[in-house]
Amino acid sequence: MVGTPVLFIVIPLLAAFIIPLTGMVWKNSVRIIPGLVLSYMLALSVSLMWHITETGTVVEVIAGWKPPIGINLVFSPFSGFLATLMIFLGLLVWAYSYKFKRNVDSEPALKYFILLMLLVTGSVGIVLTGDIFNMFVFIEIVGISGYGLTSFYTRRDSAEAAFKYLFMGSIASTFLLLAIMIIYSQLGTLNIAEIADKMPMMSNKLKVISLIFFILAIGIEAEIFPLNGWAPDVYTQAPGPIGAAFAGIVVKSAIYASVRLVYTMFDLSGALDLFIVIGLITFIVAETTALRQERLKRMLAYSSIGQMGLVMVAFGIGTKEGIFAALFLIFNHAIIKSLLFFSGSYLVYNKKNKFIKHVNGMGKYLPITSILFTIGAFAIIGLPPFAGFWSKLAILTAAADSKMLMLIAIILTVSILEAVYYLRVINRIYFFPKKKSTEAKKPTLNALIVMISLGIIIMVIGFYPDLITGIIDRAATDLMDKTGYIKDILTINN
Amino acid sequence: MKKAIILISLTILGVYLIDIFTGIGFGTQHFASGVKDAYLIGSKETLKVSNVVTSIVVNFRGFDTLGEVTVLFLASMALGGILYKKRHDVGERSVLFPSTRIVMSGAKLLFPSIVLLGAYVFIHGHLSPGGGFQGGTIIATGFLLMLITYRNYSVSHNRLSYVESFAGILFIGLGLAGYFINNSFLANIFPAGKLNDLFSGGVIGIIYVAVGFKVAAELTGIIYTVLHEKD
Amino acid sequence: MEKYLEILNYTIYGAAILLLLIGLYGALTKKSLIKIVLGLSIMDSGVHLLMISIGYLKNGTAPIFSPGHENELAKMVDPVPQALVLTAIVIGFGVTAVALALVIRLYKHHNTLRIDEIKNLKW
Repeated sequence: MVGTPVLFIVIPLLAAFIIPLTGMVWKNSVRIIPGLVLSYMLALSVSLMWHITETGTVVEVIAGWKPPIGINLVFSPFSGFLATLMIFLGLLVWAYSYKFKRNVDSEPALKYFILLMLLVTGSVGIVLTGDIFNMFVFIEIVGISGYGLTSFYTRRDSAEAAFKYLFMGSIASTFLLLAIMIIYSQLGTLNIAEIADKMPMMSNKLKVISLIFFILAIGIEAEIFPLNGWAPDVYTQAPGPIGAAFAGIVVKSAIYASVRLVYTMFDLSGALDLFIVIGLITFIVAETTALRQERLKRMLAYSSIGQMGLVMVAFGIGTKEGIFAALFLIFNHAIIKSLLFFSGSYLVYNKKNKFIKHVNGMGKYLPITSILFTIGAFAIIGLPPFAGFWSKLAILTAAADSKMLMLIAIILTVSILEAVYYLRVINRIYFFPKKKSTEAKKPTLNALIVMISLGIIIMVIGFYPDLITGIIDRAATDLMDKTGYIKDILTINN
Repeated sequence: MKKAIILISLTILGVYLIDIFTGIGFGTQHFASGVKDAYLIGSKETLKVSNVVTSIVVNFRGFDTLGEVTVLFLASMALGGILYKKRHDVGERSVLFPSTRIVMSGAKLLFPSIVLLGAYVFIHGHLSPGGGFQGGTIIATGFLLMLITYRNYSVSHNRLSYVESFAGILFIGLGLAGYFINNSFLANIFPAGKLNDLFSGGVIGIIYVAVGFKVAAELTGIIYTVLHEKD
Repeated sequence: MEKYLEILNYTIYGAAILLLLIGLYGALTKKSLIKIVLGLSIMDSGVHLLMISIGYLKNGTAPIFSPGHENELAKMVDPVPQALVLTAIVIGFGVTAVALALVIRLYKHHNTLRIDEIKNLKW
C-alpha cells in the first residue's frame, strides 16, 4: 500500500500551492507536476483497489476523531472504482492537453493545469467523502474550477456560458445547504453513515422535502432534465479536452452523490421510481434534441446528457443487475465519450462555430482520427463487438429481469435515434467531399497516443468484457450493502 | 407574465419553507443527541481550546477548512484566468477622483492599526470570537484602503503569491506532520496546553495563523486584480 | 391559521426565508448582470441566516469557554451551524468574486450589462 485515501486530496492541494512557486523558477514545471500528481493518484488508487479486495473497505478518519465526530473518507469497492476511473480520465485529459498553449505565456498554462488538477481532486473528494457538508465543499471546488476552465478562452462566448453555469451552480448550492441544514436540525449529525442509521427518526414530510432539495441541487450538476440548460453551452465553449473532463469526471461524481443519497441515506421507497421517471425523460428529451443539433460539440453534449439519463434509469431499476448495468454504462461512457470529444475536437479544429458540416471528407485527411471517432460512435450506439454493446445488453437484461417491458421498448427506440445522428456524422466524414476552405489539423503526438490508447481500451473491453465485469460486480454488491456501509464506518477502530 | 409565474412559485416555496422551519422550531433543542455535545466536551477536555467554533473549524472538521482555503485559492486563480492580460497590457488603476490630503493622511494613520487588529484577531482565534478568515479579511481591507487612496500604491504580485503558497504549504505541512506522527491527517502534534492560554490548542493556533496570512494575501490579490481592470 | 400567527415568534426564520426569496426573485427576473449577482448573494445571506438561527438556543451563550464560565456547557448554543456558516460564507465569497470577474469580461465584450442584449447563446 502506497498510502491512505486522504492523500488523494492532500497531495494535489499541496502541489497546487507549490506549483506557483516552482513556476517562477522553471516554466515547464507547471505542466509536468500536475501530471506527476495525477499519476501518483492513479498508482495510489490502483494499489488501494488491490488492497481492498483482501481487507474490505478502507475507512480513514481525519484529525483522529472517529465518525461521526470527525470527517471520514471511505474507499470502498464502489467509490474506489469511480475514483480510479476519474483519476485515469484526468490523467488522459492532462496528457491530451500537455502541449496546450505551449507557445503562450506560462501563466495561462499554470492556471489551466492547476484548475484541471483540482477539478479531478474535487470530484474524487465527492466520491470518497463520508460527510454531507464535506461533499458540499468538494462540489463547490469542482464548481469553481469548472467556471474557471469554461471561461478559459478569452475569445468566443465562454464568459457567458460560464456565467450561466455559475448561476445554476449558486442556486444548486443554496438548495444543498437548505437540505443539509434540515437534516442536521433533525438528526444532529452530518455523517452519511450516521444519518442513514438515524433516518427512521425523521418525519416523512422532512425526508421528502430534503430529498427534493438534494435532487434539485445535485441534478443541476448531474445534468438532469430540465436542470441541464447550462451543459451544452459549457461543453461548446470550454476548451476541447475540458468537455471530456466534464462528461467523464464531473457528471460522474454528481451521479455518485445522488445515488449515494438515495441508496444509502434515505429509506424512501418511491425514490427509485423517481429515478426511472426523470432518467427516462432526460434520456428521451436529450436524444431527440441531439438529433436536431448542427454543431458537433453540442450534439456530443446532448448525447452525453442522454447517456446520463440512461444511467439514472439503470440505477432506478434497483436490482443488483440494474446497478451493475449502470456502473458498466458509467465506465463505458467515460472512456467512449472522452474519445469522441478528443477526436471530435480535431475533426472541427479551429473552426469558429464547429458545425457538423465541417467534418466533411475528413476521412481522407485525418485517417486515424476519423477511424477513432468512428470506433467511438459505433461503441456508444452499442454495436458489437465494441465496449458499449455489453453495457447496453446489461441494462436491457436488467430491465427484462424486472419485467419492465415498456422500458426496453423505449430504450431500444431511442437508441435508434442515437444511431441516426452518429451515423449521419460518420457518413459526412467518409462520403462527403471536403470543402477547399477547411483545413485539416494533424493531432499532436501526445493527443494521438491518448486517443489510440482509448480506442484500444474500447476494443479490448468489447472482446473481453470479463476484464472489467469482476470489479464492477464487486462495486455493485458494495452499493447494495447499506448496513455493511454503516457498520464499516460507525464501528471503525483505528 | 414570466414575473407572475416566478412570483407565484416563489410564494409557494416560501410558504413551504416557513411551514418546514416552524415545524422544526426556533430556539429549542431539536435533536436528542448530536455531535455537538462531543464537540463541546472534546474542545474543552482534549483540545483545550476555549472557542468551540474554532476547534470545529480547524480540527474536528478541519478538512472542510482545507477545502475552503482551496476554494479561495481557486477563486483567485479563476479570477486571474478570466481577467488575464499580458503583463505589459496591465492598465492603470481606475480612479474616479483624487483623494484629498485628509483621506491620504488618515489612511496612512489607519493602515498599521488595521493590520495590527487583523493580526490580533487571527492570533487569538482560539480564545475569542474571530480567527484566520476574519483576521485575514480585516488585513485585506487595510490594503484596500491603501489601494483606493493612493493612486500609485502597488502590491507585488510575486510577493503575494509567495505568502499565499507558503501559508498553504504550512497548513498542509502541519496536517501531514500529524499524518506521519499520529497516523491521522491534521492530528494534534503539539501539547494541548491549558484552557484560555494563548499557547493552547497545539497546532490549531498555528494553522489559524497560516489561514490568516493566506486569506489576507488572496483577498488582496483579488482586489488588486479587479482594481486594475480598465473599462 | 394559528401556526402562521406563531411565525411572529419566528421572525428570524421569516426574515431569512424572505431574504432567500428576494434574492431568488432578483436573480431570476432582473435583466442587469450586476443585479443578478446581487440577487445570488442576497440569497446566500438568507441561507446563512437560516443556518445560524437553527443552532440558536433560547437564552443561550456563545460557545466560548471564557474565564469564569468554563462549566456552562448546557447553556451554549450549537456551535456546528456557526462553523458551517463560516465555511459557506467563504465559499459564497469565492463564487461572487468569480461571478463579478465574468461580469467584467462580459461587459468588455458586449459593452452592456443587460442580459437580453448579450444572449449569444440560448438561455
